[in-house]
Amino acid sequence: MKPAPFRIERPRTIADAVALLASGGDGAKVMAGGQSLGPMLNLRLATPDLIVDLSGIDALRSMREEAGHMVYGALVTHADVEDGRAPDVGANILRRVAGGIAYRAVRNRGTMGGSLSHADPAADWVNALSVLGAEVEIAGPAGTRRLAMGAFLAGALATALEPGEILVSVRVPKVPATARFGYVKHCRKVGEFAHAIGAVLIDPTTGTGRALMGAIDAPPLVFADAATLFGGQIDAGFATRFDASAADAALAAAGMADAVDRHVHVEVLRRAATQAASLFTDTRSAA
Amino acid sequence: MSEPRSHEGVGARLPRKEDDRLMRGRGQFIADIRMAGMQDVAFVRSPLAHARIRAIHVPDDLKGRVFTAADLDGVKPIRAVSGLPGFKVSEQPVLATGKVRQVGELIAMCVADTRAEAEDMAARVELDLEELPALHDMLDARKPGAALVHEHWGDNVFLESLVNINIEAAFDAPVKISRTISTARQCMAPIEGRGTVVHFDHRSDQLVVHTASQMPHIVRSGLSECLGLEEGQIRIISPDVGGGFGYKAILLSEDVCLGWLTRKIGRPVRWLEDRREHLTASANCREHHYEITLYAERDGTLRGIDCEASVDSGAYSAYPFSACLEAAQVASILPGPYDFPAYRCRTWSVATNKCPILPYRGVARTGVCFALEVALDALAAELGLAPEVVRLKNLVRPEQMPFDNITNKHFDSGNYPEALRQALDAIKADAVRTRQLAGEPDGRRIGLGLSIYCEQAAHGTSVYSGWGIPMVPGHEQAGARLTPDGGLELRIGAHSHGQGLETTLAQVAHEILGMPVARTRLVHGDTAMTPYSTGSWGSRVMVMAGGAVATACTELSERIRRIGAHMLQARPEDVRLEAGRVIGPSGDVTIQQVAHTWYRRPQDLPADVDPHGLEVTAGYKPVRDSGTFSYAAHAVVVAVDPDLGEVEILDYAIVEDGGTLVNPMVVDGQIIGGLAQGIGTALYEEMAFDASGQPLASTLADYLLPGAPEVPMPFIGHMETPSPYTKFGVKGIGEGGAIAPPAAIANAINDALRPLGAEMLRSPVTPRRIVEQVLAVRAGERSAA
Amino acid sequence: MTASPRPETIAMGASRMISLTLNGRPVTAEAEGRTNLADFVRDTLNFTGTHLGCEHGVCGACTILVDGEPARACLSFAGACQGADVVTIEGLDDDPVTTELRAAFNREHALQCGFCTPGMLVSARDLVLRLPEADETRIRLGLAGNLCRCTGYAGIVKAVASVIAARRAQGIGPMTADRPLGPVGARAGGAVSAAQPASVAITALPSSVTTSLAEDFTPAHSFEQSFEVPFPPAEVFAFFGRIEEVAACLPGAVIDAMPSPENVQGGMRVKLGPIATTFRGSARIGRDDATTSGTIHGAGADGRSRTEGLIRYRVTDGAAPGTARVVLDVGYTLKGPLAQFGRPGLVREVAGRLIAEFAANLEARLSGSEAPPAEARGLDPLKLLISLVSDCLGRLWRRGGPTS
Repeated sequence: MKPAPFRIERPRTIADAVALLASGGDGAKVMAGGQSLGPMLNLRLATPDLIVDLSGIDALRSMREEAGHMVYGALVTHADVEDGRAPDVGANILRRVAGGIAYRAVRNRGTMGGSLSHADPAADWVNALSVLGAEVEIAGPAGTRRLAMGAFLAGALATALEPGEILVSVRVPKVPATARFGYVKHCRKVGEFAHAIGAVLIDPTTGTGRALMGAIDAPPLVFADAATLFGGQIDAGFATRFDASAADAALAAAGMADAVDRHVHVEVLRRAATQAASLFTDTRSAA
Repeated sequence: MSEPRSHEGVGARLPRKEDDRLMRGRGQFIADIRMAGMQDVAFVRSPLAHARIRAIHVPDDLKGRVFTAADLDGVKPIRAVSGLPGFKVSEQPVLATGKVRQVGELIAMCVADTRAEAEDMAARVELDLEELPALHDMLDARKPGAALVHEHWGDNVFLESLVNINIEAAFDAPVKISRTISTARQCMAPIEGRGTVVHFDHRSDQLVVHTASQMPHIVRSGLSECLGLEEGQIRIISPDVGGGFGYKAILLSEDVCLGWLTRKIGRPVRWLEDRREHLTASANCREHHYEITLYAERDGTLRGIDCEASVDSGAYSAYPFSACLEAAQVASILPGPYDFPAYRCRTWSVATNKCPILPYRGVARTGVCFALEVALDALAAELGLAPEVVRLKNLVRPEQMPFDNITNKHFDSGNYPEALRQALDAIKADAVRTRQLAGEPDGRRIGLGLSIYCEQAAHGTSVYSGWGIPMVPGHEQAGARLTPDGGLELRIGAHSHGQGLETTLAQVAHEILGMPVARTRLVHGDTAMTPYSTGSWGSRVMVMAGGAVATACTELSERIRRIGAHMLQARPEDVRLEAGRVIGPSGDVTIQQVAHTWYRRPQDLPADVDPHGLEVTAGYKPVRDSGTFSYAAHAVVVAVDPDLGEVEILDYAIVEDGGTLVNPMVVDGQIIGGLAQGIGTALYEEMAFDASGQPLASTLADYLLPGAPEVPMPFIGHMETPSPYTKFGVKGIGEGGAIAPPAAIANAINDALRPLGAEMLRSPVTPRRIVEQVLAVRAGERSAA
Repeated sequence: MTASPRPETIAMGASRMISLTLNGRPVTAEAEGRTNLADFVRDTLNFTGTHLGCEHGVCGACTILVDGEPARACLSFAGACQGADVVTIEGLDDDPVTTELRAAFNREHALQCGFCTPGMLVSARDLVLRLPEADETRIRLGLAGNLCRCTGYAGIVKAVASVIAARRAQGIGPMTADRPLGPVGARAGGAVSAAQPASVAITALPSSVTTSLAEDFTPAHSFEQSFEVPFPPAEVFAFFGRIEEVAACLPGAVIDAMPSPENVQGGMRVKLGPIATTFRGSARIGRDDATTSGTIHGAGADGRSRTEGLIRYRVTDGAAPGTARVVLDVGYTLKGPLAQFGRPGLVREVAGRLIAEFAANLEARLSGSEAPPAEARGLDPLKLLISLVSDCLGRLWRRGGPTS
């Protein structure tokens, strides 16, 4: 199980990376930590001619704080978030998501930017950052642009990245102390890709919230206004009013035909809501 | 538990000698072997489950580095023929000819400087295949008109068998329950795959085959048959082996191909199985299907068992165990540890377009135990009895031992009901049931599950001669030799790959010779250096090789004693060997001194000294070779989340009886390791196929193996009823840990879900299957309401 | 080595020398771009204590220390670890924590065959150093990425717990090194390229399974799509007879030849994330004028996978007079590695998008307009693909030409 031959280039700057990618065309592939791409290369499912390895680009190995946001460089690893080297957007929000991604040895090399660019519907960052309302910053031959997660995620393993473009950072809104975050994933065993992910970000003090159902073999189903899931209103008792039929209907409308799948996804979302309501108390299903 | 007689002998919980090199990365596994000029091999494998080969196009620039069946002059197909009446023979060409019958079947062999380059070449070989209808379901394969895996058979059944012992007598029983129960196809999945490094040694005129094998001598016989070489022209060396579990007890086509290839190209060649090859092309096991009916009295007394069992044997008969490895045993072992009067079992070993079914820890027993124990719980529920009540009614009682059961299995010793009672105590069954009634605050449901089995192990000539496969174990032999400096070398033809034989056989020797374990070395895994053995399989090595080592050491001790007596100027009958010293009436000498005298100062020995010296090869068979019967009762508590189908194991208790334990630590390790594999069978592991025979798990992301969070820390209780037939009273226990868990866990899940009306009868019990059933029952109730 | 601010070259045959520190010593050796750290230390440098169990990052047998932290050697390409500090099990002989762990592993019978043990020890060492408060549950979670098939983990968990307890008793707290953000092993200094070996024949357009069309094909997966267009049904049905135009609606499809009106030869480029492949094969076209319906039945193969697909279309009267309703029923079956790649849901999603795109393009063409610009349609996952198909096929053809 050895990859087909390819060439690795390690540019030092984003501009060089973009130029390399553009020169490589469809035969070029970006790699960050290589934890998602690596298996596909080894299995010869992916057979690029050129790997543009971003991991030597200092500019991507950094983060910054902006008003109301944390901005994570694409090379920030899951372990960086897990360990707190990359500060969180709120109290134990990203940190516990990061700690549940695959395994430690993978988290030491796997990156936030790589995970988002790979766009596996079952991946944690794809889902957690969607419910948190993150945006991605993209650099390409035509300059830089910014996209909301919903616009960035184009399908299973598909993004809005144009040829030559790379994701350079992720801009995540800070979560106010009054907000409640619930994140539950349903896995058959620890470290496995999720079969269902439910997430909610609820602020009972403002009566606002977002919710998400993920790992549906397609980009996550995001409720920009979660009130529809809680009887039209978000307050301190929101979780007790979880409307399973509303969630179920949304899944059905999204094309999920299988009733058992819908049941599981709805149930996982219900638990994410319950978890959020009980103040970050971990449940069994949380990784 | 018996106290060990010394801190290193039989019964001692001795840390293992083999650990240090393995913990320093200095084990020598098959992939670690280096030879000058070695070439790597990759295979072109069939992407289709069933197809006619119209053509194989090898690009011109690869000619001479890619080989197909047409090149393999003089190589015979692999034939593993059972002598059982009616067995249909399959010939497995080592590179496909005419047809491919499974995904992953070898079609061409590519040789290059590196594996990566060999894979590059393989990708360029073009196949012209005419696809044929593929059989992926053994029940469909049995139907008339099904496509044929081997056309000349006329059907797809390797072997059909029938046992009927007065089943009609059970038909008037007041209670009858029937269930369809099945176990998934699995992969053995040792963390190290298979691998073979072959070169030809002209000095010895031998094909030298390093291969990760549990049975080097049997591999030699198989290679000899396929390559047309004398057995003496082949030397098999099995190095450190990274887990076997049955998969490394098989002669693979790849072994044969490389045996041919090295002579063809005149260089050492290597093939290392990768994980995709392992999962999709080769390492398949289990997959049973049962239609089982129990007849009983209202008090739970079994009146009879009637069963139809099919095993998906895959496309070919694997060497040496044959395609009826599992099904042929099912009928004889289905009765388990129970005593009942009427029995019928019909079995089919069915050919399909899947990998040949290979042995996996617990061979046949895991499926049988699952079917019977799950059905017994259904019976208990039907009768409104606790599951242990039904079992205690029917278990063979200690006063019946030794006991010949309904299929003439000879249970050597033990107290089966006591094991069950102890397991119930250990799991605190009463407290669990009280808690169950109270309900869980988190909405999960608690269930308690039991299962009990007895395992025939180390069975020999009388059992296997009737089966007629290419190997029938006879006497096991072992060598024991004192070195001139007074150390001990043991030689066995079986192989240790995790079982700890380097330590435990030294313990056996210590028990007899008083030789420090540190000064005893085990030579194993090399046909040039060890006595013949059928190898490590069937939970047999401690019974057989242990018995042989004990026998050899006993003979050696006699010779030591006699030489020592001469040195002490005492009569032989007046000296004894104790703690490594020959002790006479007026002094003593050490074994080291005895060895020194024999080897270095023969002038000090009398002219009429026993010329055989200090090197012994001895043979051993237990007093009866019908096998030891170890047994265990497993009890488990699970919490089931009915809405997500998640199962958490809260507690697990095992009470087992392996007779006398040579090293209880090693035995516990075997049991817990088996438990982990049993948990995999119960909850995680499944090699699924689609309708065209495509295997659907090609990575460990899809074929789920239990990790540390999925396996509990079990309680293990030991009973030690010695076998009356074996040296020290040991019984084989290597596989038992993997036999009972699927049944116990399924029973616990069913206990938890019974109030919801769901019943899981198929392994693995996945979240999806649980939720499907729970929702189906709920939907039924809604429509009924 | 000196860091170059820009890549020296992107030409083939650029420097293939990898320099890093292995077990405390600097080493420099050649590596192909595709050579991962495990193969590099095992085959090139002959340190065989690092074991390969799955080569896709799940089993953990190859876990080694990279810049002091556990990493998967099988998923770390040597060329991406220029300058890294790599420690394998052989380098931990005298490491104090590993020494304690070895004693505990031996005492608790934490290994049997020993194949997973080097990786297990590396992960265990990390747990001991990083999480001195870990309880049994946390230890088990921390070991979840290292599979052991022999021990059932009991001895391993006990051994790790005992070392943690002993260190806690001595008051030793967490020991974690300062580390920069980003993947371990990735040094900014390593701006070099690792190339394909010059001698390797590129696997240009492997097409190793010749395809044929099954007479009674039953697809494993199918989708239905329907839409209406403001043209009379007869006109629409006639359009379906112009196979080049229909093919132009199917993203990634190219027609090479039409030996007869019923037979088409060509290719289909499909992409599933980083997986990009071209199925080459043929299609058979059937039409039934009486029912204004027809079929396009194709089969193709790439190097190792093959697929068969069937598009059934039916043109009927639309809701309004003079309009037509098109019902598409699209089914496919996959065989080979792509089928065995265990995420069928993802494959279905991509196929679903492809079919939706096909329907949209058909509708657009039938309506007389070119495919609308991507911006207008919002997000177009397939735009990239479409724009690349011709390029890419051209490149492949240049490189080696079709092999059949």
